[in-house]
Amino acid sequence: MTSPAPAVLDRLGVGLWTMRSMASAPRNRIADYAGFRDDAILAEQLGFHSIWSAEHRLWYDGWCPAPLHAQAAAAAVTTRLRFGNAVLLAPQHDPWALARTAADLDRLSGGRVDLGIGLGHRDAEFDALGLRRDRRGRRMDEALDVFAAVWRGDHGDPPPVQRPGPPVWIGGMAPRALERAAGRGHNLIVPQTLYPRELRRLVDDVRSRTPGPGLVGVLRDVWIEPDPARARRFRDDFARHFREEAGSWWVLKGTPAFQAPHELEKQMARIVDSALIGSPEEIAEGLAALFGAGADFLCLRVNFDLADRAALRDQLHRIAETLPPLLSGAVATAEAV
Amino acid sequence: MRFLLELEPSTDLDALTAAAEAAQAAGLDGILLRQSDALATPLVAAAALAPRVREAHLAVELDLGDRHPLELAEEAAVVDLSSAGRLLLVARPAPGAEEHYGEALDLLRTALAARPFRFEGRRWRVPADLPQNEHRIDTHVRLMPAPAQLRLAVWGAGAGRDEALRRGLGYLAPADADPDELGAAYARAETALGPALIGTTRARREQLDGPAELVARLRAGRAAFGQDVAVVAGDAATADVLARAVSPRVQLNRLPDGLEAFWDASGAAP
Repeated sequence: MTSPAPAVLDRLGVGLWTMRSMASAPRNRIADYAGFRDDAILAEQLGFHSIWSAEHRLWYDGWCPAPLHAQAAAAAVTTRLRFGNAVLLAPQHDPWALARTAADLDRLSGGRVDLGIGLGHRDAEFDALGLRRDRRGRRMDEALDVFAAVWRGDHGDPPPVQRPGPPVWIGGMAPRALERAAGRGHNLIVPQTLYPRELRRLVDDVRSRTPGPGLVGVLRDVWIEPDPARARRFRDDFARHFREEAGSWWVLKGTPAFQAPHELEKQMARIVDSALIGSPEEIAEGLAALFGAGADFLCLRVNFDLADRAALRDQLHRIAETLPPLLSGAVATAEAV
Repeated sequence: MRFLLELEPSTDLDALTAAAEAAQAAGLDGILLRQSDALATPLVAAAALAPRVREAHLAVELDLGDRHPLELAEEAAVVDLSSAGRLLLVARPAPGAEEHYGEALDLLRTALAARPFRFEGRRWRVPADLPQNEHRIDTHVRLMPAPAQLRLAVWGAGAGRDEALRRGLGYLAPADADPDELGAAYARAETALGPALIGTTRARREQLDGPAELVARLRAGRAAFGQDVAVVAGDAATADVLARAVSPRVQLNRLPDGLEAFWDASGAAP
């Protein structure tokens, strides 16, 4: 008789390691990059499917602009754990270099790359690289064509370990993102703010297309804290954390978000409301609803660069040790469907 | 004289690790990973080697001038952080993009400094100030994170000799580079730059045909152009020969009479 736990953990990744040193939580960067490797070792020991990073560039906190390179170091000290991104900003890269970097990492890691890619949204990032943001969709489609060609060997490159290449996860929930995933048979990774009923509609939509997507993954912000007072405090910290990013970067109805406080608060309410912060039972209920709404895989965002490393590692333990028994029924039902 | 062991280009991490460990254990200064058909993105391999080999310098030789130097600078900064400050970039002109090499060197090094910058080149303008990117707010960009090292070393290589030297950068010469011609190039750079060239790395690829031949060539290189780095392709056995039979003989300007004969007789050399 086998334990139900591995089946659940096979559907759970943890994220998002972004290597930021924020005004509210400054860090030593060298220690943080070394800490990422230690966290990957722990995630592997605890049985998680994967660890996920995310990319931005040219921001004061040092958000990692080259996650595949940071992941290469972590892959070198692990053997089974997979490495995902939610997401790499594919249109901001030279597609040939990105295709080859992913293939080299796939070979160096023995086939453990999950290549999550999205469009990117900050004008400043595109402009620094001499790119027009409004052409990002076209560049994304070109990049997907280049990946396929490079990994197929059309240009003489040695093949990646995974065939036909590292699984591609298309990030987003816009119609074009769904089309890209369904049209090319790629996986989909959808943002953390989607409620289960919205996810159900999205999954029904994308699964009705041909050839259809691979897996549907869902990001979700998660923090296990059974004590209600402490959970409230964490929710406040969490809200402040996202208000900085959203206020600085987002453009809401044509206005930079810090200058549109009403719109910003509406967005913040959704981010905070969709986060699962509470007891293992409360969190399991929220995650079970996502499996029930058609998710094949969940990336639990537990690293917000606001908690210290000890608290983060404690969360990884709590997730791995408390959620699998609570989720085994939901995962079994999802598998049966 | 410093020694870098050039590893056989590969994405076999265990093979890379074994050779790099041997180089490190032998006391060589580091390893070099070269971009090639078998290893298209050596920076990612260097990142993977970083936690496997904890002390050796990680030199990465790659094409410069084809893709955006800002993207390369970001990758270099992350690999330098991942290796706690052991990266060394060796940049050669990318085939077909030779005309952009000098500008790429300038943009790369501008980006690696920890300050906001604007760059107005013929090939690259950063930020580009494209009117379609209407929500950009800054006139400058700042590469974040900065590398771990206060000043990440960037050497030229291949056909990039004169562009590297006129910027006061280190340079890795090919194995067939004529020592006297290199000496003349460095002399010209010294005339032009004066003390700005003090301490600049003068490297050449070398072959280990035999320890005595290599020792003679390194002494000649030191005399002709001030060679202070040898990059030698090979494996664990190569590292051992370099460490025992070559390196001790080329560190000082002159050894006491009889010491080399003593080493030969006592079997210190392999």
